[in-house]
Amino acid sequence: MARFHFHIEENGRLIPDEEGKEFFSGDQVRKEAIATGASIAREAFMTGSPCRVVIDVREEDAPFLRVSITLDIEEKDEG
Amino acid sequence: MSSDVIPAALVRRLRTTSAVTDEDIKAVDALPFSVREYPAERNIVSDGQRATECCLIIKGFCARSKTTSEGRQQILSIHIPGEIPDLMSLHLHVMDHDLSTLTPCTLGFINHDALRLLHRRQPNLADMFWRDTLIDAAMFREWIVNVGQRPAPARLAHVIVELRERLKVIGRIEGNSFEMPLTQEQIGEALGITAVHANRVIKQLRQEGIVAFHRGRVEVLDENKLLELAGFDGRYLHLSPAL
Repeated sequence: MARFHFHIEENGRLIPDEEGKEFFSGDQVRKEAIATGASIAREAFMTGSPCRVVIDVREEDAPFLRVSITLDIEEKDEG
Repeated sequence: MSSDVIPAALVRRLRTTSAVTDEDIKAVDALPFSVREYPAERNIVSDGQRATECCLIIKGFCARSKTTSEGRQQILSIHIPGEIPDLMSLHLHVMDHDLSTLTPCTLGFINHDALRLLHRRQPNLADMFWRDTLIDAAMFREWIVNVGQRPAPARLAHVIVELRERLKVIGRIEGNSFEMPLTQEQIGEALGITAVHANRVIKQLRQEGIVAFHRGRVEVLDENKLLELAGFDGRYLHLSPAL
C-alpha cells in the first residue's frame, strides 16, 4: 500500500493535497483520479469560470499520473 | 444505566415532533431495552439480515448505507441519539440496507414483540412511531434532491445544517460547533463524490470562511453564508406537531 497525493489545478490555480490517501493498486489510483477530475470539472464547467481541470497525482513526491480535462465549446456562427 | 436515561433523547425528540402525552412517555420509559456497547464502524444489522429487534441510539452516531455490486458505498442517512434508524424492520422483515456505527455507540435494543404489544395497547404511540418513519422518508426525499441536484459545496452545507437542526432538538450544540464524526471518505460516500473531491470541498468551505472541520466536529464560521449556500428549508424535518 502506498500513499498518493491528488493535487488539483483549476485554470492554473493549485489546490495542494497535503494529507494524501492510501491505495492498494495503481488501477484504484487511476479510477479515483478520473472520477475526481470528472466530478470537479462537471461542477466547475457548470458554474462558468474554469475551463481546464487537472488532477496531478504524486506517489510521495514522484509524479505518478496526470488527468487533464478541458472544456471546448464551438458555437455555430449565426452570421 | 437507569431506565429514565435510556430513552431520554428519544423522549425529548418525540416531545418536539409529536403531540405526546405523559402517559405515552411513561410507556416509552417502560420499554424493555437491552443495552449493548458497539465499537466504531461496526455493522449493527446488515443488508439481507432478518431483524427481530429495533435499535435506539443512546450514545454515538450511526449511518445507513447501501453497497452496489461494484462495491461502491452510498451513505443514505446519518443518525444521532434518540433515533431508531431501523424502526421499519418491525414491518419490513428482511433488511434492504446496512445500519452501522460511525463512532463507538451505546445502543438500546427493543424486541419487535415488545414494540408490537406497546402499539396495540397504546395506538397513540403507534401513530407517533408511524409519523417517525414518515419523517424518515421525508429526509430521504431531501437526501435524493441533495445528491442529485445540488453542487457539491451546497450538498455538504445542506448535510451540515440538517445535522445541526436535529442535534439542536436533543440539546447537543455547543456554541457554534457540534459533532459530525465522518471521515473524508464517509463525507464523499454521503455526498456521492470521491474522497479526494470531498477533501477539496471541505477546504473550499474553510477558505471561504463558512465552516471548519476539526477532528469530527464542525464549527460554523459564517451562519448567513452557510444557510445561503445550503438553500435550507427545514419544513421536511417536521419538527413540530403542527407541521
